[in-house]
Amino acid sequence: MPSHTLQLRDLTKTFEAEQGAVTAVDSVSFDIVDDEFFTMLGPSGCGKTTTLRMIAGLESVTSGTIAFDGQDFTKFSTFQRNIGMVFQSYALFPHMTVFENTAYGLRIRQMGDDEIKVRVSRILELLGLSALAHRNPPELSGGQQQRVSIARALVYDPGMLLLDEPLANLDAKLRVQMREEIRRIQKELGIMSIYVTHDQEEAMSVSDRVAVFNHGKLIQVGAPHEVYASPNSLFVADFIGRANFFPARTALRNGQGARVALGRGSELEMPLSRPLPADEGALLDAGFDAMIVVRPEHLGLAPAGTPGIPCSVRRILFLGNYTRYMVACADARREVFVDMARRVPGIAEGDQASLIVHHQDAILFSGAGR
Amino acid sequence: MTAPASPAEALRRKVDWLPYAVGALTVFVLFAFLLFPIAKTILSSFVKNGQELEIANATLTNFAKFFTSASYQRAFVHSLVVGGVSTLVATLLALPAAFALSRVAMPFRNLLMSLSVIPLVSPPFIGAYSWVTLLGKSGIVTHYLNTWFGIEMPSIYGGFGVIVALSLSFFPYVLLIVQGALAAADPFIEECAFVMGASRWRVLRTITFPLVLPSIAAGAIIVFIKALGNFGVPSILGGEYYVLPTLIYFQVHGYFNLNGASAIALVNVLLTLLAILVLVRVNKRRAYVTVTGGTRRSAQLTGLGARIFANTYCWGLLALGLLPHMIVIYSSFAEQWAGTVFPTAYGLANYVNVLANVRAPFTNSIILACAATAMCIVFGTLAAYTSVRKRFFGKWALDLTIMLPFILPGIVTGVAYLTTFNSGLIVLSGSGAILVLAYFVRRLAYVFRTVSAAVGQVDTKLEEASSICGATWWWTMRKITFPLVSPGIISGAILVFATLISEMSVTILLYSAKWKTISVAIYEYIISDDLMNASAIGSITILATLLLVFLSSRIIGKTMAEMFR
Ligand SMILES: Nc1ncnc2c1ncn2[C@@H]1O[C@H](COP(=O)(O)OP(=O)(O)OP(=O)(O)O)[C@@H](O)[C@H]1O
Ligand SMILES: [Mg+2]
Repeated sequence: MPSHTLQLRDLTKTFEAEQGAVTAVDSVSFDIVDDEFFTMLGPSGCGKTTTLRMIAGLESVTSGTIAFDGQDFTKFSTFQRNIGMVFQSYALFPHMTVFENTAYGLRIRQMGDDEIKVRVSRILELLGLSALAHRNPPELSGGQQQRVSIARALVYDPGMLLLDEPLANLDAKLRVQMREEIRRIQKELGIMSIYVTHDQEEAMSVSDRVAVFNHGKLIQVGAPHEVYASPNSLFVADFIGRANFFPARTALRNGQGARVALGRGSELEMPLSRPLPADEGALLDAGFDAMIVVRPEHLGLAPAGTPGIPCSVRRILFLGNYTRYMVACADARREVFVDMARRVPGIAEGDQASLIVHHQDAILFSGAGR
Repeated sequence: MTAPASPAEALRRKVDWLPYAVGALTVFVLFAFLLFPIAKTILSSFVKNGQELEIANATLTNFAKFFTSASYQRAFVHSLVVGGVSTLVATLLALPAAFALSRVAMPFRNLLMSLSVIPLVSPPFIGAYSWVTLLGKSGIVTHYLNTWFGIEMPSIYGGFGVIVALSLSFFPYVLLIVQGALAAADPFIEECAFVMGASRWRVLRTITFPLVLPSIAAGAIIVFIKALGNFGVPSILGGEYYVLPTLIYFQVHGYFNLNGASAIALVNVLLTLLAILVLVRVNKRRAYVTVTGGTRRSAQLTGLGARIFANTYCWGLLALGLLPHMIVIYSSFAEQWAGTVFPTAYGLANYVNVLANVRAPFTNSIILACAATAMCIVFGTLAAYTSVRKRFFGKWALDLTIMLPFILPGIVTGVAYLTTFNSGLIVLSGSGAILVLAYFVRRLAYVFRTVSAAVGQVDTKLEEASSICGATWWWTMRKITFPLVSPGIISGAILVFATLISEMSVTILLYSAKWKTISVAIYEYIISDDLMNASAIGSITILATLLLVFLSSRIIGKTMAEMFR
């Protein structure tokens, strides 16, 4: 398998809009190697598409570098980069059959008819499209069209595959099926892939690594489980999965951790603390210097009177393999979610209860000056 | 699988310089054959006839004539009268029909609207003489009015005839535009007024009319521009009644005073610009016009009275508009028609004669129109593509330049070409090339418009996908863009060709003995009072034009009426 690397260094893109310059991508750096499945994830307008389009050469680079296998990619036009790309809108050529759409890149590469036939048949088969080869794109379903556009992008062995929200136009069930299929083919062909989505569940389930963006900046890169288990900021904690937030005051620092107090005085021992990113300092409430982040599955609930944080149970949702308690707690930022494997006996909707924080799994973000 | 082509390998392919070369060529052509002639015309209007184009020679003599010469003043006033009255008459005739066609349940609505396109595609001068046949001294209508009722008609030659012919030729512009707006206006707004208790008449006056006022203004302005710039009709029906275009022709052919002609042309264009300024002002209020996506049509009147009125009025008006064309076709079958009210013998002799002896004008017109159409296709398509797809400095200038000939009367383009290509760097006068180039700039906007619309329909992602696959710009154009916009190109091209085979107002100044066209042949027959042969050529032209426009509308899947909105 050929070995490839893609390196982005301080990649920046500024658009000149009427209301002034917009920095859509701000000093983004990351590396991707070999057949990695790399996903750019973030809320709408955070610059994912722009980054992808710069890699493709469809958007000029304001500053920074893109290097593929050590060569400066920005020196090449789009058509010289030998990449494959899948668009959200499929972008199939409406005046060509499925076969011709797929063969398009091979014809440009001046390949002989026989070889084209062999390659196209092979890739169409890989995507389960053999029977549709002579149909026209408008006669296909959305899922089939997206498969054709994947086939078209892969048939000429591109150095990398770029996918910009390829599943956004499909229905929920098909999305799950297609994303598995994309990953299977990607690994089978061993092709480096960069995937863009704003659906965090989709990103977590298919990627080798995810890069979380916000406001044009790359916030955190890592394997899905790493990003979930140890987010480096409140933004990532909130964006990936569900998190509960408890504003806290540091009472005593001890080694790596700290003893903190919540709003109404409950004290907690936090074994680990990490600094809050500088630009999130403003997210702390007045009078607090830290924030505790706890995933719903790392919280417990006990009948009132048990040591813990007092709260009241608003709603109990039975969700099959677990039960979700929606709980009001004066010490928390907003409504608290508690996910329990089993229902807690003796607690009903409307009851007072005690919240228990499993502090070895909770994360303490300490503000500046601590 | 074989090793992928590395970017380094790909780099050996040619640099993509083609788009720049093509862009430069387009800019050059627009500059040399459109902007330069206009600029030179403006400049030469400030120089006395026969003098060099120099600062030292600058003078306002040519314009001063508008204050000193009675014939200039009359022509100026006549132009305003003809333009103004024709516009008023055309608008007043068209409005009830537009309302009826959009708000009254009528059978054959589309047929009626498609037929109303005929006066727009066949040049008005072909039918102009029909008004003499009908309303002239020994005309058919004049005869019966006189013998039955003892009514004396005013002379058809002069302002009366010109206004009649022009308003009946151009009213479909107002009809089609206003009908389109009425049909598209959001029915909820009117219904809302009804619910609030307004009467039908009140709704019409306070809601519907203000809503479509910008469309009425747009239609009226087109009529005004067309009437103001028309040469053919006043040259046939005007007699001693000069308007600015005929005065220009007189200056050029009588005195070969191109500088004087340039000055008149400039005044003519200024009047047009003034009219456009008015349009822009009216359209400023356009912001409140809401147009639905056409999911629901407004309620149709179905009362018997409304339907009888609507049908009678619309078909009557259409018959009036098509009368000249029907007379042309009728006259073309007349073999003997002298001194009598109706012809005394009918037959195909005129066609036999025309097809045997008038070959050259037909071939000339077809050759010239083909060449000009080809140029329009190439440069219209490139300019449209660039204008829709690329962001660049001075884009508005490109759009404006291409649309410029829309507001330049043909005769003005003719003057500009005579001024520019008679001497100097490129000498073209008397050649076929000067006609081809003039036709090209006059019709470039047609292809530009249809192709712009077609390119706008093609998702940019398709072109991006193509270059991702490794295609150069030219490959993408050939394999993706051109095939997808080709219906737009073809339909625009047919429209250009159809309207060029009988082009009159620029041809009349630029043709030479070797390059006589159909329109010149008709004109010469009419001038020498050989109406029957003129009609035979005219009929062939009208039918061919109509057929081509119909074909063009089929290709882009629009109705003929939609193509002229
Ligand atoms: N051509 C452009 N001109 C000006 N601003 C632009 C342009 N393209 C994108 N932007 C701006 O750049 C920012 C990032 O846009 P981008 O399309 O990369 O977001 P995204 O992360 O892909 O969002 P989404 O999830 O909605 O697709 C946005 O604020 C957008 O408005
Ligand atoms: Mg996007």
